[in-house]
Amino acid sequence: MANLKLPYLATAALSGALFGAGLYVSQMVDARKVLRFLDVTAIPSGGWDPSLAFVIVPAIVIMFLAVQLSRQQQAPLFDVEFHEPEYAHIDRRLIGGAALFGIGWGMAGICPGPALSLIAFVPDGLWIFLVAMLIGSYAGSLIVPSGHAKRLADAR
Amino acid sequence: MDSFTPLTAALGGSLIGLATAVLWLGNGRIAGISGIFGQMLPPAQTVVWRLVFVIAMVSATFVAARLLPGIGMGGDVPAALVEAPAAWGIPTPVWLAIAGLLTGIGTKIGNGCTSGHGVCGLARLSRRSLVAVLVFFGVAMLTVAVTGIV
Repeated sequence: MANLKLPYLATAALSGALFGAGLYVSQMVDARKVLRFLDVTAIPSGGWDPSLAFVIVPAIVIMFLAVQLSRQQQAPLFDVEFHEPEYAHIDRRLIGGAALFGIGWGMAGICPGPALSLIAFVPDGLWIFLVAMLIGSYAGSLIVPSGHAKRLADAR
Repeated sequence: MDSFTPLTAALGGSLIGLATAVLWLGNGRIAGISGIFGQMLPPAQTVVWRLVFVIAMVSATFVAARLLPGIGMGGDVPAALVEAPAAWGIPTPVWLAIAGLLTGIGTKIGNGCTSGHGVCGLARLSRRSLVAVLVFFGVAMLTVAVTGIV
């Protein structure tokens, strides 16, 4: 299988390493800094920290260029096809899921990337959050129809 | 103000963008962390690369804190996640468990998080991702305002 070959796994490792370094350098692993960005009520007093906007914009620009480059390729370097998400429909599940995630993110200040990266430092409370996130993810998988074809049909 | 750090934010964001670009151009995969995390659970056929990705990510966070003491968090590592706001009378572990549950279930049924929808989806000009991003950023800002956690 292509996805057990060394170049494929080395690419996953390189990507993960860049991601983890980026989360530390950008301070996304600091929940308090994330919350100071989300706290738009501090804008009038001048206490708002807009830094995280400076994280996501260059990330999007670089990925946008990569996507444009990929449009001229038949396939990625180490697999037979680009696994483009096929869901197209904007439905209640998308909006409801995003809203639930928004509440969780606003409560704790960490999204899934930083939550996993923080295993590097094991701050107090991390395991509770991660185990709960795992349970939540599993519970969610019981709500969405199982099987790719069914999920795809459901999302159309 | 002291806490505004646009340069390290942009440097870190560029690394994250490179990470998503490498996985897309190399393996044709979206670097969405909630998806990678959620599909490490059974049933999943291709667990190996996701495990490799997460181990590399955690290791790089650990190494970055030691190699780059002058950048980002200045060598500091977070000792604890957030405390629950006192006014709500909810113990912090319960608060964090609720937040974790909502994050897990929401990203699963909404098909993505800050990386999958926020970085990769917007870069792909996906309308679904744009809607998801507006909803979870908006709701997160509202949640912070209502809970008074900052």
